[in-house]
Amino acid sequence: MRKFALAFAAIATLFIGCAMPASAQLRVDVTQGNVKPLPIAIPGFNGDPAGAQIAGVVRADLQRSGLFNALDPKSFVDQIKDINVPPNFSDWRTINAQALVTGQAVAQPDGRLRVDFRLWDVFGESQMLGQQYFTTPENWRRVAHIISDAIYQRITGEKGYFDTRIVFISESGPAINRKKRLAIMDEDGANPQFLTNGGYLVLTPRFNPTAQMIAYLSYAGNKPRVYLFDLETGRQEVLGNFPNMTFSPRFSPDGNKLAMTLESGGNSDIYVMDLRSRSMSRLTSDPAIDTSPSFSPDGTHIAFESDRGGSQQIYVMNSDGSNQHRISFGDGRNGTPVWSPRGDLLAFTNQSGSNFHVGVMNPDGSGARIITDGWEDEGPTWAPNGRLLMFTRTERGGRGSQIWSVDITGRNEQRVTTPGSASDPAWSPLIQ
Amino acid sequence: MSHALAPRRNSVAVVTGLANRRSPFALIGALLLHAALIGATLFTFAHTLDITDVSPPVVPVDLVTIADKTNIAPTVQRQMKYHEQEITQPAPSPMQVQTPVVPQEQQAEAAPDTAPSEPVVKPVPAPPQPQLKPQTQVKPDQPKKKADDQFAALLNKLTSQQNAPANARVADRTVRGVGAMNAMTMDIQDALRNQIAQCWSPPVGAPDPQDLVVDFDLFLNPDGSVARPPQLLASSGNAASNPYSRAAAEAARRAIYECAPYKLPADKYSVWREIDPFHFDPRQMMGQ
Repeated sequence: MRKFALAFAAIATLFIGCAMPASAQLRVDVTQGNVKPLPIAIPGFNGDPAGAQIAGVVRADLQRSGLFNALDPKSFVDQIKDINVPPNFSDWRTINAQALVTGQAVAQPDGRLRVDFRLWDVFGESQMLGQQYFTTPENWRRVAHIISDAIYQRITGEKGYFDTRIVFISESGPAINRKKRLAIMDEDGANPQFLTNGGYLVLTPRFNPTAQMIAYLSYAGNKPRVYLFDLETGRQEVLGNFPNMTFSPRFSPDGNKLAMTLESGGNSDIYVMDLRSRSMSRLTSDPAIDTSPSFSPDGTHIAFESDRGGSQQIYVMNSDGSNQHRISFGDGRNGTPVWSPRGDLLAFTNQSGSNFHVGVMNPDGSGARIITDGWEDEGPTWAPNGRLLMFTRTERGGRGSQIWSVDITGRNEQRVTTPGSASDPAWSPLIQ
Repeated sequence: MSHALAPRRNSVAVVTGLANRRSPFALIGALLLHAALIGATLFTFAHTLDITDVSPPVVPVDLVTIADKTNIAPTVQRQMKYHEQEITQPAPSPMQVQTPVVPQEQQAEAAPDTAPSEPVVKPVPAPPQPQLKPQTQVKPDQPKKKADDQFAALLNKLTSQQNAPANARVADRTVRGVGAMNAMTMDIQDALRNQIAQCWSPPVGAPDPQDLVVDFDLFLNPDGSVARPPQLLASSGNAASNPYSRAAAEAARRAIYECAPYKLPADKYSVWREIDPFHFDPRQMMGQ
């Protein structure tokens, strides 16, 4: 009986050894990583020829973001035959893809195009996202941007920005007689169009929250005033009839108000116009120059620039003009504050010596940091997700301005494709 | 050959003879051993069987319908047009003047608005330490310990392991061995940290770094490969509802897979077989 017990004990030990080998738990704390783009494979979508074009635009969108590395389709070893069954994940791991997008475009009997796509986690061998769209075939590019936004949001956690537009000032002609026209294009530079004919100077365009209206400064009639441009009708309208110059417009987050600067007797102050009643309220009354107002996303505060302290610096006030206080105390001069759509940062232009750089700071002025390194970078505008900025970059030597984009981490500076020289970009909200 | 076979036959006969005399114990023992072998084989194949499911699972899809025309201004259902006066000017550049028709989309899975409305002019208080929230995958039989106790607990386990054999030199361990074990453990931790740092790309553009701290477990094979899918043990945000926290968890999981197989000393496998927790905290990278 004792031997039996011994044999049983030996067998039990064998079982336990198989099931739960004795080991320790090791704690490992990781605090440093390596920020790098996510390798993503996006084969051409099956079906309609538009599918290949859609995949191409999605690939370009994600690559341009700097957060993805869209792998070369020539490296793909697996052919996606049916997007409704899971792909052969090992084939995609072989080429180091960590995410995979499969899709198809199918022409419908009613003439519309149906586009399906699925986003796969290659390591986890699971679907992360699957969506289906119906649209008219000529809108394939827009669908591609919407798909890019969905993938971007699913993987990064933040909303995308590809289905947006940029309004900007297109510059052409010699420096002494430069023609500046209001222009608009898709975020990726496609579909550029002029909105004004260049007969007069235009500056500082700004979108309203629905991306339907643009406020801008126009010198039409040699009188610099703030205008509204209705993108739907093409109608332009002077805002108010003031004896002096109005400039630097910016919509409130609800689109019902417009903050702008009114110059009078050599003094510039900030006003807010109620766009429904067209009544004006004065917010600042300092003898210094107060300009460049920008609302916080909740509409309760306005950041602006002022030289009331002796040099151009950034100030914040309540949206009724109360509690004005300075927040920037860094080197050089700081101006053109723009509140991030997600509220966590202010972008601004810093001038140190003869150099201009774009930076970001917390809304209380702390944590200021410069994120661009050009010779003359200025006039930032936020992507609707608050993750990227566009700005105007002028290279030394005066070969015209260009629009560039940069991540708020300072990474991924990229030139934005525009026809010719361009400046003063304004990023639209997501198209609705 | 015949010489080699002959004793074998003899030995079988002997064993048979023994079985005749001691049949109950030997037979039961043999049966149990066979059962153990079969059981162990099934146990080993279990993971392989899990991943060879060839039947295509049903994959869900969200239906999103896009209208033919865009509702650029939600309050006005009209098609976009541009002012003809402005667009008839010939463009010297390759720009095209068109009347675009843009679709309207409705994102079926509209994410919750993550733009925070923070107090804007008040000084930001010192960031609190993120409180890791246990995820549903946490095994009930493995309660999370306080971070301060982790290392002591680890040492206790290692020491008690070594104490298990009857002839273990307990005195040596307790006097000199803990320091050596400590250094060895730290070497392995450093090796793992250095390797995973090359693969880990956390979402550093997220607005609140406090939500991005995650804990995983990781079971490794002796060759350094991942033995089973790492489980999310805890997240400082809510990985189920906060898209940034979910992105942080997925980025850590991708890093764990990407870096495998891990290069670690084979003779110390018992130390690095189970990493728990594999703690990912990107706040330093984000200037926090």
